[in-house]
Amino acid sequence: MSYDNVEILFAEDSIDDATLTIRALTKSGFTNKLQHVLDGAAALDFLYGKGAFSDRNILEHPKLILLDLKMPKVSGMQVLEKIKTDPQLKSIPIVILTSSKEDPDIKKCYELGANSYIVKPVDSDKFFLAIKEIGLFWMVLSERPN
Amino acid sequence: MVIANQELVFQNKEKENRAAELVIANQELVFQNKEKENRAAELVIANEELVFQNKEKENRAAELVIANEELVFQNKEKENRAAELVIANEELVFQNTEKEKRAAELVIANEELVFHNTEKEKRAAELIIANRELKQAEDDIRKLNDDLENKVIERTAQLESVNKELESFSYSVSHDLRAPIRAINGYTRILLEDHAIDLDEDSEKVLQSIIHNSKKMGQLIDDLLAFSKLGRKQVTLSDINIAALVHVVKEDMIFDVHENVPQFVINVLPPAKGDQSLIKQVWINLISNAIKYSKNKPTINIEIGAYEKENQVVYYVKDEGAGFDMQYYDKLFGVFQRLHSQQEFEGTGIGLAIVQKIVHRHNGAVWAESNLNEGSTFYFSLPNIKTVQK
Repeated sequence: MSYDNVEILFAEDSIDDATLTIRALTKSGFTNKLQHVLDGAAALDFLYGKGAFSDRNILEHPKLILLDLKMPKVSGMQVLEKIKTDPQLKSIPIVILTSSKEDPDIKKCYELGANSYIVKPVDSDKFFLAIKEIGLFWMVLSERPN
Repeated sequence: MVIANQELVFQNKEKENRAAELVIANQELVFQNKEKENRAAELVIANEELVFQNKEKENRAAELVIANEELVFQNKEKENRAAELVIANEELVFQNTEKEKRAAELVIANEELVFHNTEKEKRAAELIIANRELKQAEDDIRKLNDDLENKVIERTAQLESVNKELESFSYSVSHDLRAPIRAINGYTRILLEDHAIDLDEDSEKVLQSIIHNSKKMGQLIDDLLAFSKLGRKQVTLSDINIAALVHVVKEDMIFDVHENVPQFVINVLPPAKGDQSLIKQVWINLISNAIKYSKNKPTINIEIGAYEKENQVVYYVKDEGAGFDMQYYDKLFGVFQRLHSQQEFEGTGIGLAIVQKIVHRHNGAVWAESNLNEGSTFYFSLPNIKTVQK
């Protein structure tokens, strides 16, 4: 499998949530190449060309990173912090996915530089809508620095 | 002549003897003279001595005169003192008599006191016993108090830890419970959307039911969390323009309604002190309830108003909707308690519990009156801003 030209990096440990999210993106018309990883450590490996991604060209940055907060090994927040403190990577927009708006980490994510967050709603209609909006905004509307 | 001569010789001799004697006498005289001169010299010295002594005696006499005068003065003083002493003595004698009288009285008083004393000793003994009992009781009370305080501390710690547990529980409920429901809802929708061709009408209905129920479950979890979060939320008091707040809530509520638009009668609403966002939630819940439970009536009429009572302002929302049976009143404000079926009126049963919790956190009260099928009036009170500011 080629890791070239990946436009969306998606870190999510729940296969169910991942399936639904990817479907929502596809259904909403985003056919951009997406790389799904199952934890934060794999997300960092992808960005830094390590482990399974050692032959990836790390100068190619994804256009958007979708990060679930609660993941094994390295949490979404740790990935966020790592990216936002790396001068090479910090301009990549990051959208946080969380199961609950009660999540005490949401505030901290914003402080760390997250660009926005989505509460994964139970109602999949709303979920599709949220994913669509976020995809539209970050992939199409917002101008990237270069 | 010889005789004469002899006489003469004799006489001569005599004369010579006499001369010799004279010489001796003379010498004697000279000696005596000398002696007298010595004596005179001694007398002169003795005289000077006497003059000196005389002078001394004169001085002593003068001193004695002064000493004498002094003695006379002292004598006079002593006489005066003596006179005074006589007077003082008489005074003492008088006082003595008085004291004797007094002493006699004191003896009587003393006997009296001795009697009282005995009485008092008896009383004191009784008091000591009573005191001991009191002390014992006090010790008991103190011990009980200490025990109570320890128990309070212990309980508070327990409550705090339970509270913490609840907090983390509510977070994991929110997080972990929603994930599988989300999957159920999402996959069902995939079936409906992507495999509709394989489904008959019945299957589609079942799948719609699954979607509806999972949605409902998500709503319940969200409501429950919102409710439990209320207890922890800091209440920040400020002056609230209730009239403006109610206007905003009402406009939001009828914004998207095109048929059977609720008709509002809004009376004068005095301002109140409270947490703006929480009090807004109270109005949202009460007004949306009033609309919801009136949906089966031909017209939706809602009256909002207020009145002052003691140092509280009481606000009310009155509808002409379905109402409820007052015999179930005690369930009205309970969490997840509903007086209507889902078929009649949808809801999670948390709205009024939230209203009550918010109002209680403002030291207010909430209550309701209703007649089945005729309508309900919900009241809540807040501290009157006028009395709060005083």
